[in-house]
Amino acid sequence: MISGSPQILFFIVSMILGSVIFMHLSKRISTIIFFYFFQSVIVSGLLLDLSIEKASLFLILTAIATFAIKAVIAPYFFRRLIRRHQLNFSTSTYLNGPLTLVVLTLLTAFSYSHFFKPLCILAIENEKALLISVAMIFISLFLIINKKGAISQMIGILSLENAIVTFAYIAGLESGPALQIGILFDILVWVIIATVFASMLFKKFGSLDVNEMKNLKED
Amino acid sequence: MLLLLIIIIPLISSALSLLIQKKYLNPLGIIAAVSSFSEMLITFFIGKDVVEFGVYSFTSYLSVDSIGLVLMAILAISNFAASWYSGSYLKAEMKKEIIGFTRMKQYFTLLHLFIFAMFLAIITTNPIIMWISIEATTLSTAFLISFYNKPASMEAAWKYLIINSVGLLLGFFGTILFLYPVIASGNNEIINWHTLMSGASSFDPFIAKIAFIFILIGYGTKVGLAPMHTWLPDAHSKAPAPISALFSGVLLNVAFLAVLRFKSVIDISIGKSFSQELFIFFGVLSIVIAAFIIFIQKNYKRLLAYHSIEHMGIITLGFGFGGIASFAALLHLIYHSLAKSALFLLAGNIILKYSSTKMENVKGMIKTLPVTSVLFFIGFLALAGVPPFGIFVTEFTILSTGFQINPVITIIVLLSLVLVVAGIIKHVSEMIFGEPAQGISKGEAGINTVFPIVILIAILIFISFFIPAEMQSILHFATLNY
Repeated sequence: MISGSPQILFFIVSMILGSVIFMHLSKRISTIIFFYFFQSVIVSGLLLDLSIEKASLFLILTAIATFAIKAVIAPYFFRRLIRRHQLNFSTSTYLNGPLTLVVLTLLTAFSYSHFFKPLCILAIENEKALLISVAMIFISLFLIINKKGAISQMIGILSLENAIVTFAYIAGLESGPALQIGILFDILVWVIIATVFASMLFKKFGSLDVNEMKNLKED
Repeated sequence: MLLLLIIIIPLISSALSLLIQKKYLNPLGIIAAVSSFSEMLITFFIGKDVVEFGVYSFTSYLSVDSIGLVLMAILAISNFAASWYSGSYLKAEMKKEIIGFTRMKQYFTLLHLFIFAMFLAIITTNPIIMWISIEATTLSTAFLISFYNKPASMEAAWKYLIINSVGLLLGFFGTILFLYPVIASGNNEIINWHTLMSGASSFDPFIAKIAFIFILIGYGTKVGLAPMHTWLPDAHSKAPAPISALFSGVLLNVAFLAVLRFKSVIDISIGKSFSQELFIFFGVLSIVIAAFIIFIQKNYKRLLAYHSIEHMGIITLGFGFGGIASFAALLHLIYHSLAKSALFLLAGNIILKYSSTKMENVKGMIKTLPVTSVLFFIGFLALAGVPPFGIFVTEFTILSTGFQINPVITIIVLLSLVLVVAGIIKHVSEMIFGEPAQGISKGEAGINTVFPIVILIAILIFISFFIPAEMQSILHFATLNY
């Protein structure tokens, strides 16, 4: 339904892109988690729309599972981590704000360049939304690279996954519901393991700033 | 049915290991040994069918072809040796109070899950399940890298988790793009390697190229190809020795299998030259970078890890050159796997004796660890490509093919290999000879820390001189498409 209306889809995907950009600009971890929650709600909504369009109960369950894991469980784990270690301080970046914005602009322009234009045959009616999702992939990757905080890196990875799911939705390349459940289970396990690791890192290094980890260089 | 069994056994073993109580220490090692032996037997029976019929399948979801069999055999043999070795190795570490019982239990529980994920990645016919399985190898082993709970191992595990997760997500993006021709054709049946290959000819060339680049970068991260290799030396050097053996000897190859599967599809779509050029580029880069670092390396576990990067580069280069070089590359993969698994297990013996991974702290091994040092020397000679070991023949074949295709690149590779040999001789001779530090006792840790390695080296030597006709046939069919 949504994919049949290019303008609405473009607006929705732009909101997801906006959430990644705000993740870059946010200084507080709790704000970054909120934008991930926001992004995940929209992605779950897209999947729900697809399930209604295909009138598939299994797909509806997949959309609900996506919402539960990405919009409820993952943010819960991150917030618990923040509360437990009182981490609600600002997250620093390698590049300052203006330079980060310049890179984000360049990445978006690159996604809209002639280089990626041929990808539009995947979704001729929704080519603008498709290219935005490509920009989201690059901007999420840059989030992982640019942020120094371990939680921000984790959210960057999950945002990258959301970007790929959005791309697949627009291009009509979703895998079957059983496989989607498999992928979601994988994400759930990943979130649990990554948060346990972050907690262990905090206990070991007294910080979640990855710059504090220098033991390998000294070894 | 056997394929189902081979993934159920490690799952049951993992659950059993979790249930073992503190007063029963030995069953952990026994479960691992029995489980790995059963997996090896099953692989043997599956292998018989693959030799006879070309493929062994269980429903349309699980299947083993020639190249899958090669990987299964490597996994089964290396796992058997590593599992056998693990019991005694970890007991020795418990005796030295490096780890406690809970750690040992955690180790075996995760080891079986790791093995399950690798078997599933090899035998599944679905590219998405293969992706899930390879991601599962990352998740099951992250805690094995941070096993010793030291700051450096925690850091290595975090780096491993983040870099591999990003890499695999890029691989996932590439996988989704590969689904395009099948979904566009309205084919609603289950997607598997066969349907991907059937639809390959209608794959848009641009999308095919983009998809393969993401696959190569994504799975290439797990393979350890430069410049995405940065997690590998840290993870391999911090994990317990048997896990490092499975990482280097098997996991890198399983990820490489994923790349090869997609290569077969894209070669049908746009011809072989695109993937071959990329393979040559990443192969050469990996060899050159690893060669320089090997020469100046100070830590023997990191030395072995960089050696893996170099050898994965050689294998990639062989498949890049194609033809007879692909055959040699697959044979090289087998030799490297056996030798590297053995060398990492031997590194475990050295750690137990010297309590250090720094080469400057390891001297006079021939006096303190006579059997280990002889095996260590043989393993390194094999990996260095010294005749009569099989790697000499495979490297010679790959390079001679390379001279016909691109002499400049081949000369760069040849010079890098010379640098590697010089580095190895320098480092290994310093470790084996000389006077050991005072207080280092003489003697091996026990028969169980030597015998599994002897088996690996014996197989390596045997197939260096004699390749059975069945194995030749399997290798031939496995490389037919490359």
